[in-house]
Amino acid sequence: MSWITIVWSMNAAACLTLAGIYLLVWCRQREDWVYFVLSCGAVAGAALTGFELAQLHAQTSEQYGALLRWVQFPVWLLVVSVVVFVRLYLRAGRPWLAWSVCGVRTLALILNFIFIPNLSYREITSLKQVSWWGGETVSVPVGVTNPWVLVAQLSLLLLIIFFVDATITAWRRGDRQRALVVGGALIFFSVIAVGEVVLVVWGIIQAPFLACFAYLGVITAMGYEISSDLVRRADLARQLQASEADLREAQERMELAASAAELGVWVWDIVRNEIWITDKGRALFGFAPSEELDIDRFRSAIHPEDRELVRQAVENSLHTGAGYEAEYRVVLPDGQVRWMAGRGHVEFNSVGQPAQMRGASIDITERRRAEEQFRLVVEAAPNAMAMVNSEGRITLVNTQAEAVFGYPRDELIGHPIEMLVPERFRSHHVGDRHGYFGDARARPMGAGRELFGRRKDGSEVPIEIGLNPISTSEGLFVLASIIDISERKRAELEAARQRNELAHLSRVTILGELSGSLVHELAMPLSAILSNAQAAQRFLAHGNADLAEIREILSEIVSEDQRAGEVIRRLRLLLKKGEVQQHSLGINEVVQDVLKLMRSDLVNQNVIVDIELAQNLPMVTGDPVQLQQVLLNLVVNACDAMTDCDTPERRLLIRTGMENGNSAVNVSVTDRGGSIPEEKMEQIFKPFFTTKAKGMGLGLSVCRTIIVAHQGKLWATNNADCGATFHFSLPIGGSDKEVVITNS
Amino acid sequence: MTAPPSPTVFVVDDYAPVRSAVSRLLRAAGFAVAAFASPEKFLAQYDPRTPGCLVLDLDMPAVHGLELQRILATKGSVLPIIFLTGHGDIPKSLQAMKRGASDFLTKPVNDKDLLAAVRVAIERDALARREQAKLSEICARLDTLTPREREVLEHVVAGKLNKQIAGDLGVTEATIKMHRARVMAKMKVQAVADLVRLAERCGIKGSSQ
Repeated sequence: MSWITIVWSMNAAACLTLAGIYLLVWCRQREDWVYFVLSCGAVAGAALTGFELAQLHAQTSEQYGALLRWVQFPVWLLVVSVVVFVRLYLRAGRPWLAWSVCGVRTLALILNFIFIPNLSYREITSLKQVSWWGGETVSVPVGVTNPWVLVAQLSLLLLIIFFVDATITAWRRGDRQRALVVGGALIFFSVIAVGEVVLVVWGIIQAPFLACFAYLGVITAMGYEISSDLVRRADLARQLQASEADLREAQERMELAASAAELGVWVWDIVRNEIWITDKGRALFGFAPSEELDIDRFRSAIHPEDRELVRQAVENSLHTGAGYEAEYRVVLPDGQVRWMAGRGHVEFNSVGQPAQMRGASIDITERRRAEEQFRLVVEAAPNAMAMVNSEGRITLVNTQAEAVFGYPRDELIGHPIEMLVPERFRSHHVGDRHGYFGDARARPMGAGRELFGRRKDGSEVPIEIGLNPISTSEGLFVLASIIDISERKRAELEAARQRNELAHLSRVTILGELSGSLVHELAMPLSAILSNAQAAQRFLAHGNADLAEIREILSEIVSEDQRAGEVIRRLRLLLKKGEVQQHSLGINEVVQDVLKLMRSDLVNQNVIVDIELAQNLPMVTGDPVQLQQVLLNLVVNACDAMTDCDTPERRLLIRTGMENGNSAVNVSVTDRGGSIPEEKMEQIFKPFFTTKAKGMGLGLSVCRTIIVAHQGKLWATNNADCGATFHFSLPIGGSDKEVVITNS
Repeated sequence: MTAPPSPTVFVVDDYAPVRSAVSRLLRAAGFAVAAFASPEKFLAQYDPRTPGCLVLDLDMPAVHGLELQRILATKGSVLPIIFLTGHGDIPKSLQAMKRGASDFLTKPVNDKDLLAAVRVAIERDALARREQAKLSEICARLDTLTPREREVLEHVVAGKLNKQIAGDLGVTEATIKMHRARVMAKMKVQAVADLVRLAERCGIKGSSQ
């Protein structure tokens, strides 16, 4: 046998062997079409080798022409196989190039059967016998080249371009090993094969077609990498087998844990639409132990009202790859309805299609029931309630909250709580809220401050807020209990108004008692003015006016008029039914003002007043008129208490000083009258308690109300020897809170 | 005997503007004025022989107006007092009037009212001083009687007849007549009725014996 026959046959055998192997592999892994393509390419390679061997030994030009015509089938198959292989394996190469290669090659195949004898030659005139090594002779065609052979050669050129493009793409993508070995070899061997065929067809060299070895190179290159993959896969399979046992054990453990946690674990094979679920899961959903499950069976277990919700959650997960999460009701075969929470995630296959979904479900009926109860409690609460999550968004409100703020529920849920805060407090509120979440405990909000809420119509409502942290599995929430205190505020204001009226009444009463004294206070300057003026008139009438004297008279008139004006001013202040004022004032000035008003009354009653005023006392905040009223009452009471005393005994001591560790200013009025029975020490401050024949018994009770409104204290003590002392104290600086006289 | 000093208006008021204004007004009306800030200062300087009147503030601490009135009364002063008050306090004014206050005026007081009151008071003071002077002179006559004459006078004032007096004293009726004539002469009276009136003014009580 000639060596040519042996070598070409071996080449064909090699191709067939490869084809067989790849076909077998493909049969076991049907989805890996690359093996099938490889197998096809290898069969084409074997066929090509056979045709070339026949051409070498062809005896007639007709025989040669026919062989050249039929060889186009394996060539077409090889080209198409290689193109598909590159697309599948390298995952590169422009699709339009691939289609062009296949299209032009197919056109060439069609043209091949139109022309006689074939696409390559218009006519094969003779066969030239060429001697080869070892005394062998081979046939070489001599004839007229068919210009349409350019179509076939164009397809080969496009094929090489396609290889180059795919190789570059794979290389750039980082698949360098594959690009270099597979792409590089494909380019190298195809250039050799195409080059030799072109040279022979155009008669440039006198040689037979010898492309089959290059084709074997192409197929080997295609198979080399993929064979390594096969080896690797076999290794992996061995490792897999080894780890499968571990996996099974892990799975058993997981199932045990899931079962203990009341979790139903499931896997949904999306391609086959099969659902595998643990026994616990079957129990949760009411599936029979051996029942085959698919997605429709699963849906049928869900409460009809929740099916759409679950469907959307699943769809969303499948489309976006996000985690699946849903809470829904399940109707068990016995009709019982249970709440379920499901969570899962989708796994995608190599081409990005959802392959399966794994997840777990848990019965949350108890939690939902507790939540529902909580919701009902909140709804039934007499106050407005709002629950806020850690982002400051409202998650729950009740009807009262809708009524207080004027928003319907759906305009509140999910919105920031700041929408209910007046704009001027908003920015501050955000900080306060963060602060609260940092140190959450049940407490009233904004201690000491007046709080306002903002209604939908923009108006403000005075409120009180209690805050309660609620820790849940979804994080920390704050439940705010909101009380609309508009009514209370109104009542407070009304009470304050009434108390102010009463204070005024009491003031007018005490001034009535002092009226003689006050008349005197006015009579004195008026008297001096009148006498001075009439004296001046007389001096002038007699024409003996001494100018210096007249000047003196006028200056005395002015100063006395001012004195009268001062008395009137002070009186007007006390008689006025004005709003409560807030001033920073010195308590010593209040004492002195009162003594000025009462001076002649004290004289009249032969009461001597001793004054011990502490110097440099801090200021207090209050209403000067009301504080004068208190002191006036205390001094008048002290004088009244001493009417029965002997004249030298009628002494009054007014003293100011500090007390309570210098946090308050104290004023005391000490008389030398009778003492107060111990059991009446508190009673004297009650309204309508009086020991006087003409008194209404309001004086001291109003005094106490005033002092309490100033955050101070008013009390009485008995002196060691005789008489009693009344004290009141006021906090230094006062509070910045408005002094409102309220019922105490 | 020196000429009696001219009348002075004393003003006592603790409130300086009123004190000076009232003083000024009185001076403008031509009165001599002495002003004092307190009853104590007034008492320290006051000479009861000085005629005039006192314009006194009722409402002063410590020794107030009524108190000063009482002190003056105990001293036998006849100085008329015009009270000035800012109060118009009825119980006090009643008390003052009862004790012989010359007038009671409320502040602010009109010049006419004040000056009229002052004039009346000075008039009253002058009258009282004249009366007092007369009485002193009569009493001085009494002092010239011998004890026996005084004894006889007392019996006469009691309305006894000469015979009865003679019996009581154990002397003759003629002796009594002689004493009586001497008493009438010393007391500078013509009729027995006048003698009895003068004796009574000087506080002589009739002897019942």
